[in-house]
Amino acid sequence: MEELDGEPTVTLIPGVNSKKNQMYFDWGPGEMLVCETSFNKKEKSEMVPSCPFIYIIRKDVDVYSQILRKLFNESHGIFLGLQRIDEELTGKSRKSQLVRVSKNYRSVIRACMEEMHQVAIAAKDPANGRQFSSQVSILSAMELIWNLCEILFIEVAPAGPLLLHLLDWVRLHVCEVDSLSADVLGSENPSKHDSFWNLVTILVLQGRLDEARQMLSKEADASPASAGICRIMGDLMRTMPILSPGNTQTLTELELKWQHWHEECERYLQDSTFATSPHLESLLKIMLGDEAALLEQKELLSNWYHFLVTRLLYSNPTVKPIDLHYYAQSSLDLFLGGESSPEPLDNILLAAFEFDIHQVIKECSIALSNWWFVAHLTDLLDHCKLLQSHNLYFGSNMREFLLLEYASGLFAHPSLWQLGVDYFDYCPELGRVSLELHIERIPLNTEQKALKVLRICEQRQMTEQVRSICKILAMKAVRNNRLGSALSWSIRAKDAAFATLVSDRFLRDYCERGCFSDLDLIDNLGPAMMLSDRLTFLGKYREFHRMYGEKRFADAASLLLSLMTSRIAPRSFWMTLLTDALPLLEQKQDDDIETTKVEMLRLSLARNLARAIIREGSLEGS
Amino acid sequence: MVSVINTVDTSHEDMIHDAQMDYYGTRLATCSSDRSVKIFDVRNGGQILIADLRGHEGPVWQVAWAHPMYGNILASCSYDRKVIIWREENGTWEKSHEHAGHDSSVNSVCWAPHDYGLILACGSSDGAISLLTYTGEGQWEVKKINNAHTIGCNAVSWAPAVVPGSLIDHPSGQKPNYIKRFASGGCDNLIKLWKEEEDGQWKEEQKLEAHSDWVRDVAWAPSIGLPTSTIAGCSQDGRVFIWTCDDASSNTWSPKLLHKFNDVVWHVSWSITANILAVSGGDNKVTLWKESVDGQWVCISDVNKGQGSVSASVTEGQQNEQ
Repeated sequence: MEELDGEPTVTLIPGVNSKKNQMYFDWGPGEMLVCETSFNKKEKSEMVPSCPFIYIIRKDVDVYSQILRKLFNESHGIFLGLQRIDEELTGKSRKSQLVRVSKNYRSVIRACMEEMHQVAIAAKDPANGRQFSSQVSILSAMELIWNLCEILFIEVAPAGPLLLHLLDWVRLHVCEVDSLSADVLGSENPSKHDSFWNLVTILVLQGRLDEARQMLSKEADASPASAGICRIMGDLMRTMPILSPGNTQTLTELELKWQHWHEECERYLQDSTFATSPHLESLLKIMLGDEAALLEQKELLSNWYHFLVTRLLYSNPTVKPIDLHYYAQSSLDLFLGGESSPEPLDNILLAAFEFDIHQVIKECSIALSNWWFVAHLTDLLDHCKLLQSHNLYFGSNMREFLLLEYASGLFAHPSLWQLGVDYFDYCPELGRVSLELHIERIPLNTEQKALKVLRICEQRQMTEQVRSICKILAMKAVRNNRLGSALSWSIRAKDAAFATLVSDRFLRDYCERGCFSDLDLIDNLGPAMMLSDRLTFLGKYREFHRMYGEKRFADAASLLLSLMTSRIAPRSFWMTLLTDALPLLEQKQDDDIETTKVEMLRLSLARNLARAIIREGSLEGS
Repeated sequence: MVSVINTVDTSHEDMIHDAQMDYYGTRLATCSSDRSVKIFDVRNGGQILIADLRGHEGPVWQVAWAHPMYGNILASCSYDRKVIIWREENGTWEKSHEHAGHDSSVNSVCWAPHDYGLILACGSSDGAISLLTYTGEGQWEVKKINNAHTIGCNAVSWAPAVVPGSLIDHPSGQKPNYIKRFASGGCDNLIKLWKEEEDGQWKEEQKLEAHSDWVRDVAWAPSIGLPTSTIAGCSQDGRVFIWTCDDASSNTWSPKLLHKFNDVVWHVSWSITANILAVSGGDNKVTLWKESVDGQWVCISDVNKGQGSVSASVTEGQQNEQ
């Protein structure tokens, strides 16, 4: 037996505490049952049963969250759009489409986060509020990871633009700045505000030098004594070379300019220009990429990846993607400083910086509670042609495996299952068979739902499932005495045996009550009548009645005759047919009917005689 | 995350031996040493007792739901040597048929794939397996395989319906020629595979030998469209084996040891898409197993009974991607 990376997790089921009793379980269509039992099959149980409870447990309860449902619904639309992207598209246009898809997914996550945040704030029950808040952090982490994956794997940002993207990434996710900014600027004397220097520092840490400069000018205005050095610092900030989008300079040119600027900063440090202001001196050191100075700002940085990006900004802004992981690992180590160990999120981000996509997906699968994230991300990465396919038993590659798991989870839900159908459609190896297995288990509570399921099956030529579902519905109808409905379902199922059964019921009803129910249906059977002999008989017999009612006696008589001579009349019905013949026999009509009457008489006499002969024969012969 | 979504108080007065969800997960049937079979409606996290069926004269060991296309039908088997088939008619559950053809406790009942018709296999401690086929109008035809397993038969499980060749449209009313097969496990430490011959008789097709003690349960995995067949078997000897046959015609089955547990393993069961095997044993745990990339079976979760809070976060390990 192979070992997993970690120990399998244990779920405790609350039950009566008895170390002696064993646990029984079984699978439901979407869940598991467990209960206490004793497997030793003896007539008298030895222990007093302590627990008559059966627990129904299920994975992926997320499916039931109202807000997450929106996530599932909207991402479903994005997923479909992605599948339909023209495979012919290559190069830049393809990449930009894929990036757009990625951004769409992310915006859906953010919308969901926002909504959940609102709910968390409004929650009356603090426990509920906490639960929602934790859900918000999970979503936030998901968006963080996705965003990084977008930059590294989908956008595939090269050295230069890479840093800009990472800066955006950090700015998006460390958002205390805005509230801090509002606080400080909103006050009467911003530069005298307690958090003023914190604000300036964090702006510098995030590379938002223009804004930092504006802050400094306020300080310069407020304390003329430091105006001079503020101005120098401001100039430094203004002149820091940075790659801007649309900039035509090459990377080498940028590096050169940056080197000059860096040296200029170094000179100011050597000259102790900012010695009089510890704040400004600290800012200078930050801008020189001094690790110690950066680490002093741990609290403002708040996490190691912010530290990483700031470090890169001020020490190696033209970092190449392949070198990222060195910086990432050391940033994590430096930031944690041996005081704490990395969390799952940290490991995931590290794996991303190492461009180890499989590891990212694996760690996310372990850390997250449902398959939504990994399924959609992996699918997108697969479209970027980034996944080599490993052959798995379940799903021929990882993308399919994850989509199958996700879609299966959706089937547990009374309405989300419809989304699952589309996901299965795009799993070429096992999607169809998985759909077949799942779709049969959807409870057909209403006619509407049944029709929906049938339509889905018919669209995909899943004839076995169509038959099976129609049979189930036919049976249900029969049990509820809705014979017409039962008949239509058996016709739709092309189930001759069942159609025969229902037709028999109709005929029996007729014998008992003297009239037919569901005349409309029987009158309009059309070619479906041929499904079974009994059904044909039913249709024709009804036709006979109609003709008789319309006084078309000649036609009625010949139809009746053909019914008697054909083999399709059930034996139990012969009496009835003969009885029906009587009034016709008594009619005084034209020659045609005379002939027919005579035929009928002859026929019934012959049959009687035959029967008599047989009976006599068998008695004599025995 | 695994969470308990419903707790059904069955009010059984004695040990519960089996609990089965119906096809759609809306109803739950349970049976117990208190000789009763109960049916609950468990939709939307609720529980409503629909029926309390009495008729057995001893502990009831197993229940099995028939496919819904035949109506609402439940089979139960008991220490009292009987198999009872219950049916819901006009909203009430009643005993529809009783089969008393065994000389000893009937341990296991299993309905055949619905494609074959309404057929029930029953395994008994008298060593015989009986097959009840519904022929219409309340009639059941019985075929008996005597001495299927010496000392006793503990479990029966049907193979999924697979038609040889393709299943293109056949004229309606004509059934395609299915080859009916099922597996049984017994006190002779064997798993046996049975096949129905053209003349309608059941013949022993294979013996799967690997256990050193009584085979307690067998479960034939649902078909996922691949040509392989898979059977799980567990035994008193603490071992669970997964048997696979790569090709319907080759008929060679190879066992792979899933795990050796420290105690008797009583029950194995496949999820409906056959990708997870659940194993329940004497060690008070239900473990879930999945096959990994290279064909090895990996334990992905332990479901344990005990005290403490319910929603411990359980996550499934991803298949090994090495």
